[in-house]
Amino acid sequence: MKYSYIKPRNKSAITPEIKLMLTFFSITLFMLFSTYAFLLYKDYSFTNELVHITNKKNRLETNIADMKVQILFIKKENVLAQKIQTKNAVLKDSITNLFDLVPERITLSEAKLDEKSLLLKGITPNKDVYNFMLQAPLRSIFHRTYSSFYPAGNGWLSFVSTNYTDDEKTVSQKEIEVEN
Amino acid sequence: MKLLESLYNKVFINIVVHHESSNVYAEVCSKKGVINSYEELFDTKHLNEKMLSFINSLCKESPFYYISILDNSSYQGAVPTCSKNKLAFYNDMSDCEYKCYQSNWTYYTSKNDLYEIERSYEKIGIDLIYSPFTVLAKFFEDKIDTYMAMYVLIQDEHISLGVFKESQLLYAEHIYFDNDLENEELIETDTTIDLDLEDEGIDLEDVSVIDDIDSLDDFGDIEDLDAIDDIDEFSSGEDVEEELNQGLMEEKVSETAPDDFNEEYQIFTKIQKSINTFYKSSKYESAFVESMYIADSVGLSSDLKKYFEEEMFLTVYIRQIRLGAEIADLAKAEVGL
Repeated sequence: MKYSYIKPRNKSAITPEIKLMLTFFSITLFMLFSTYAFLLYKDYSFTNELVHITNKKNRLETNIADMKVQILFIKKENVLAQKIQTKNAVLKDSITNLFDLVPERITLSEAKLDEKSLLLKGITPNKDVYNFMLQAPLRSIFHRTYSSFYPAGNGWLSFVSTNYTDDEKTVSQKEIEVEN
Repeated sequence: MKLLESLYNKVFINIVVHHESSNVYAEVCSKKGVINSYEELFDTKHLNEKMLSFINSLCKESPFYYISILDNSSYQGAVPTCSKNKLAFYNDMSDCEYKCYQSNWTYYTSKNDLYEIERSYEKIGIDLIYSPFTVLAKFFEDKIDTYMAMYVLIQDEHISLGVFKESQLLYAEHIYFDNDLENEELIETDTTIDLDLEDEGIDLEDVSVIDDIDSLDDFGDIEDLDAIDDIDEFSSGEDVEEELNQGLMEEKVSETAPDDFNEEYQIFTKIQKSINTFYKSSKYESAFVESMYIADSVGLSSDLKKYFEEEMFLTVYIRQIRLGAEIADLAKAEVGL
């Protein structure tokens, strides 16, 4: 039954107050869901990062173990290098000392230096020069010294000097035997 | 949205504009019925601050509020057809808004007046505008179907009347009258008569009998008075139920002040004139009005009934009508509550 000249205006249950309330709740819900979504994303991101970091950590641990092995090897090499360097230095000093030992009047033609022996070949004007100026220092260095001479063409003497250093134990035993 | 709507009560605010006041009647309704009702009379014909504040306070009760108003346009009426081709035969509808009532008859009003009403109440907004003819037809719904009679709605400044025969409108008229102006005119006329009496007295020779005969002609073309016997309702068609209601009402009406005399006589003359127009006009289907149902919204005295009964030999029944409540019922039906 519609008897009115005009149609009633559209009525809505959503009044301005309810609109305001709905807006407020919508914003609040949006913020809550946004926060929840953000936290979910962060959680997912952190989980991924955790897996990534764990893998990285494992990889690093493996690398560290490898590096430790390498360091050990390098240390050993270093020690060896130092030993070699020391030996070389000793050898260099020995050679220097050896050549310092040789007087100007004696001429060496061959020198062979081993770990515990020294072979010298050369020419000397006479035996005395050799005995006093070369053999004496050699004797003080080596435990045993053997020399042999044979004449050279120009009136000089060629000599072969063989010198040995004994082990400390052998030396000690010999000394004990001598004392007895 | 319908679910939300069902949670809310509905508020029906109904405005009836009187001569110098406005009556605002409101009902707060749930699906079960009327929860609360309010009524307030404001000493203004227009929307003032007090009325606005009262209506706004009612509107705040629910977002589903409907503001209805009774059309008080002077240029309104009803015609006994729903056919658009025939409307122009009764009235020029070019500037009118009209609606068909139950496919039987059409009520109309001026478009300009509708815009004016909407403009006057734009602060609150008007949802429904009702014609007094629909109010009248709904109010006498139980009688219109069965009794051939004249049905009249009397307001402060308006009379809406219609002659119905088995729900079909035969004739209708909306009469606007300015109480103050009419009273003044009546007083002036009375004064003139008094002066005549004082100066010259009554000369029976001067009284024109022809005039009286002419006035009898106003009762229409009753060619054969014997035919009156054919009208069944004339002798036995009295409405017993309405008679009983009438008896109760007359007790109250008898206390009405004598000042209403002029006003009620005016109403009588206006209605009498309208009945004469109905009888005379060839536009309308002819029928003899022998009873009258009056919806009284102003508190008439028994004088009006007496005028009709004594001078026009009509059987008159007067019912009190609360226009606000009637409009509220129409609005409820319109909204579907």
